[in-house]
Amino acid sequence: MTKTALEQAQPFTIKAQLQACSSKEETFKTLVTLSKSLPRLSEEEKIEDNKIKGCESAVWLIIEESNGLRHFRADSDAKLMRGVLVAIVSLVEEKTRIDIQQMDLKAELQELNLSSYLTSSRTNGILAILSQLQQP
Amino acid sequence: MPFDPSSLRHLFPILSQPAHGHPLTYLDNAATTQKPLLVLDSIQDYYQTCNANVHRGAHFLSDRATNRFEQARENIARFINAPGQSHIIWTKGTTEAINMVALGLEHLLKKDDEILITSLEHHANLVPWQQLAFRTGARLRVLPLTSSGEWETEFSHYFTDRTRIFSATQISNAIGTSTPLQTMLDHAKQQSAFTLVDGAQAVAHYPIDVQALDCDFYVFSGHKMYGPTGIGVLYGKNHALEVLIPYQTGGEMVRHVSYQATEFNILPYRLEAGTPHIEGALGLAVACDFLLSQDRPALFAWEQHLANHVYQRLSKAGGMEIYSPEKHTTLVSLSVPNIHALDLNAYLDSKGIAVRAGSHCAHPLMAQLGVSGTLRASFACYNTLEEADRFCDVLIEAIDLLSDE
Repeated sequence: MTKTALEQAQPFTIKAQLQACSSKEETFKTLVTLSKSLPRLSEEEKIEDNKIKGCESAVWLIIEESNGLRHFRADSDAKLMRGVLVAIVSLVEEKTRIDIQQMDLKAELQELNLSSYLTSSRTNGILAILSQLQQP
Repeated sequence: MPFDPSSLRHLFPILSQPAHGHPLTYLDNAATTQKPLLVLDSIQDYYQTCNANVHRGAHFLSDRATNRFEQARENIARFINAPGQSHIIWTKGTTEAINMVALGLEHLLKKDDEILITSLEHHANLVPWQQLAFRTGARLRVLPLTSSGEWETEFSHYFTDRTRIFSATQISNAIGTSTPLQTMLDHAKQQSAFTLVDGAQAVAHYPIDVQALDCDFYVFSGHKMYGPTGIGVLYGKNHALEVLIPYQTGGEMVRHVSYQATEFNILPYRLEAGTPHIEGALGLAVACDFLLSQDRPALFAWEQHLANHVYQRLSKAGGMEIYSPEKHTTLVSLSVPNIHALDLNAYLDSKGIAVRAGSHCAHPLMAQLGVSGTLRASFACYNTLEEADRFCDVLIEAIDLLSDE
């Protein structure tokens, strides 16, 4: 099985790219670039069951597990959110459920310069996504 | 000579700060306006010179606070040409005012009565009526805007002998379209329906005369008209306010209480349970004075000029759907095919431009327009032509950045 662009994307390069941003505008542009590496979900996968509630843009998340490691596929109708999803998924991809639950995802996103997306939870529902990722 | 916003912009120091390293360009005025120094000073002054509870007299500060509080009520009455201070009920804002009326009229509604609204309503002027209909068995009906964004030439048939309540906005918060209010109110009155006008989007822009409108209730918020947040007004005709059952009871709204019964106070106090938002009321009265001291037709013309300027530029640029009318509005609401409004909003924000993206608390209207949300730039008297142009420039940049090549 060939790896998707997302799986190939190295978390540290995503981190480095985001941390190099010195302004909100640069973060925006970086997220737009990152969004292009997110494989889109099919229309059949964009169902209500996969939808995360609490986001003003539509966000779908599919969690799969093989050999005890979790794999995440996600999509959104908003491009910036797809960029944020690339960053979030890079933090948790191929980790065990327990490992993910023990992570401080909020702090990790803050380190990625994405803290402003955390405070406006009403707008983008990032917190809803994080809690979904850490569900048992 | 056109209006010059620099004549009053210095009264709004919040606008002179940078945002994300760019000049702050505040174009989210339909959500909340900024407050002039006079309003901020009045709040400070209240706490420095007369902070005390109102209507509980018997000392220097309380007398002073009560006098100013009741004077503020008179200023509001004058601002909307109400016949007197007893017609002015303080509320938290438009939402609370509409809920007060919906709950207060519940005892008069029965099964198969009709409540009529328009398709332009904010959720605040929809959900309270829908829930009232659920509780009473009444029917919520909607007078729709046609698909071309116009009103039907003949809509009198929506008003029937079962219409008990007609509630409509003056201007749509989401797309800036006005309702043909006077005609609608005439139809409603012919059916002896109670009438409520949601003036939240109108009061900041042009003079309101509730007696000329001849509606039973008129509601608005302070924060959208240069006043403080958390204060608003329910105006009502005397007979209309008298039939409202108070939805909150407690202190201030009573004349005499025993364990067996309570005698309610007279209007306006009967509908104002508890300690009111005193400094909010004083600040709102000052905001009214601020507006009354301005050349209001000139301000309104300027705000419309800015919206029209943006409309013209963006129409010329193409590639977007504009939902607002070309003229007679102070906002521009639009969407760009295949680009999420939140993405446009995020880029504008990164350049210091504050607008609003989303459904604008009007889900049914968005569904009718066939969009999940729009991007809305809304103007106030302090906005400049340069700001309108910056919005257009940066929006066009954003579309370029977000388009899939």
